[in-house]
Amino acid sequence: MAEEVKKAPRPVDPNSAKYKLGKIAGDAYANAIEAKKAGKPVAWVSSNFPVEIPETLGLYTVYPENQAAGIAARGAGERMCNVAEADGYSNDICAYARISLAYAKLKECPEQDVAMPDVLLCCNNICNCMIKWYENLSQELGIPMIMLDIPFNPDYEPSRAIIDYVGAQFWDAVHKLEALFGIKWDDEKFKAVTEASCRSSRAWLEATAQAKYTPSPFNGFDLLNHMAVMVTARGKEEAGEAMETLLKEYKENHENGTSTFRAEEKYRVMFEGIACWPYLRATSRGLKDRGINMVTTIYADAFGFDYSSFDEMIAAYCSVPNAINLEKSRDKRIKLCKDNNVEGLLVHTNRSCKLWSGFMPEMSRQIGEACDIPVASFDGDQADPRNFSEAQYDTRVQGLMEIMESNKEA
Amino acid sequence: MVNELLKEFHEIAASPKAQMDRYLAEGRKVVLTAPVYTPEELIHSMGFVPFGAWGADTELKRAKEYCPAFLCSIVQSILELGMTDVYKGASAIVIPSLCDTLKTLGENWKYAVKDIPFIPMTYPQNRKPEFGMNFTIAGYERVKADLEKLGGTFSNEALAHSNEIYNRHNKAMRDLDEVLARHPEVGAAARSDVFKSAWFMDKAEHTELVEKLIDALKNQEAGEAKLPVLVSGILTDAPGLNEILDDLGMHIVADDVAAQSRQYRTDVPAGDDALKALAQKFSGMDNCSVLYNQEKPRIKWIADTAKARGAKGVIVVMTKFCDPEEFDYPLIKKACDAADIPVAIVEVDRQMEHYEQVRTNLETFRDILMM
Ligand code: SF4
Ligand code: SF4
Repeated sequence: MAEEVKKAPRPVDPNSAKYKLGKIAGDAYANAIEAKKAGKPVAWVSSNFPVEIPETLGLYTVYPENQAAGIAARGAGERMCNVAEADGYSNDICAYARISLAYAKLKECPEQDVAMPDVLLCCNNICNCMIKWYENLSQELGIPMIMLDIPFNPDYEPSRAIIDYVGAQFWDAVHKLEALFGIKWDDEKFKAVTEASCRSSRAWLEATAQAKYTPSPFNGFDLLNHMAVMVTARGKEEAGEAMETLLKEYKENHENGTSTFRAEEKYRVMFEGIACWPYLRATSRGLKDRGINMVTTIYADAFGFDYSSFDEMIAAYCSVPNAINLEKSRDKRIKLCKDNNVEGLLVHTNRSCKLWSGFMPEMSRQIGEACDIPVASFDGDQADPRNFSEAQYDTRVQGLMEIMESNKEA
Repeated sequence: MVNELLKEFHEIAASPKAQMDRYLAEGRKVVLTAPVYTPEELIHSMGFVPFGAWGADTELKRAKEYCPAFLCSIVQSILELGMTDVYKGASAIVIPSLCDTLKTLGENWKYAVKDIPFIPMTYPQNRKPEFGMNFTIAGYERVKADLEKLGGTFSNEALAHSNEIYNRHNKAMRDLDEVLARHPEVGAAARSDVFKSAWFMDKAEHTELVEKLIDALKNQEAGEAKLPVLVSGILTDAPGLNEILDDLGMHIVADDVAAQSRQYRTDVPAGDDALKALAQKFSGMDNCSVLYNQEKPRIKWIADTAKARGAKGVIVVMTKFCDPEEFDYPLIKKACDAADIPVAIVEVDRQMEHYEQVRTNLETFRDILMM
């Protein structure tokens, strides 16, 4: 979504998935701003907080990680990080958090303005950094915070104990929000939201799975943009509809022998990590110029919120990428590599994300061995432009390509 | 007497390996406990010696095969020691997932140090409500089951007894902290030794030694007053750092250090069900960067304690790359500014060889405090 804004505004077909997805993401920001003006409650929400809660309760939502990505993609990451650092925040802290804390102070950033919150909905299933970040927002803004704690699971499957613990917190969060804003939970609405969320998730999973074809009907960088809707709006009817359009387009591309990857697809890689938003073009071009298509990422699997019971829904939230152990994380990626005929793994060692990068060297070694593919990594950051070197990126991608090339010849 | 005891503490603090080997030679089983909190009482009650594993001031070589450079040096050096067989002989390591870096330590450990089993301890962040307490208990049950596989046995009585031993130790450490606040002649290095040695000793033994020290101090006239400060951080045991504090005539009158007083603030309450009582202890814990609380009471605690203990300034010892602490720092600074307490921040890590920068910062800070 951030990418669209950067590109020259050429007319987009209003029936296309790209248009629909862009509109959903844009509307979400605009609607929250309008709601705020009308005195309705707005929540700032962690990306993997159960959307079923704010959606059912009719809260307007803003996703600070998404906002930070947008700000970084539009070139303001460093400026915002500097604001936070001037207040004493270390530049070792996740750049999304720094940007968000800077925004909480300035309350404006033309690169992506948002409605200010009345409540914070925090879920740490992606990181504990989130807890600290939201605690500070809560203190700085003087507003309440709802903490839904989903601990990192050291075991392969979620235990009964964790499902019970998270399930209890789910209802506790609902009751706290009801009391805070005098709103009422509606089971019928909840059902509709869960159906919409499952529908979006199914379409997303199927759309991303179209990379099984060679050549792939899409450029994987598309996913980095489209997933914004999966993060923020998967519980909305329109999201399911837009994802189904995306799926239809990818299927048509395959049938027509076309692709959104606008080059000859010579190599297929999996990209590991969050995008380097400040260098989206450079990182994308470095691949495209060599005929390397990033056909899949863990995001393809990350939004599989397709469940048929309350417990299954909770289990899905306990199984998001950063909440699971090395073995489960590895196996999901091996499956993606195998399903999509991946020939190499390109790892973004993301300075912002200790959890995501912290066991990546060992995990990527294991993936490389299991799939018999080369692994290359580069240093970067999802939002702070100071931690990326285009020259290093280029060298690493070139190295990866050369091994993939010699593997083909062998 | 005081000096003799301090010497003893120093020897233990300076040679954890010898301590561990001594326990192993006595036929006792040792279980490593990683930062920041683990259910030591439970481990102890099942017949093991809980043994603190907070890494060491050592060069990182092997750990680099697993860790990106931006993980804190505590975690990296724990892995390094594991990979270089320094912890050889330990039966297991218990690692809690209280920060993101610790989550990665457990995962890496499984492959990097295959001969010492990893036992995860998963704590809830919503630790006060009943559903949170039940989850703490489930976490303990998991540790217990893993320790049983290693030959440990559990009983309610044994845990109740260990809870008592730990409570007594907590009290001794709190008393010591108060007594040391009145004895400037015991320097920062010696203070650090007393706290650090606790990690490498059976708690009953340590309590006995600490109680002796308290008695000896009570019989000793307080030395000449120095510059009173409160020190905050995760770990402050680096000799290079303590030497500077001592050289500059600073007197630690209170600490908010995770490896020191944060461990001893909360006791296990009374109760028939010892495991539940232990979970209640965890619910009661607070004022720490890795324990969620939207009110962030730790910030106020630091300013209030500095005032109450007559500290002239607060020194934040920041472990490089420790994001839980890095998030708290701007708020600590703000609260102390509002309370008119000067704050200094110095960054340290476990690979640091040159402390000139720290010395310069603290010299300047001392001069400000003396003005
Ligand atoms: S980038 Fe990593 S640390 Fe930052 S918010 Fe996302 S998961 Fe958390
Ligand atoms: S020093 Fe900080 S980052 Fe490192 S293990 Fe301790 S709490 Fe986690």
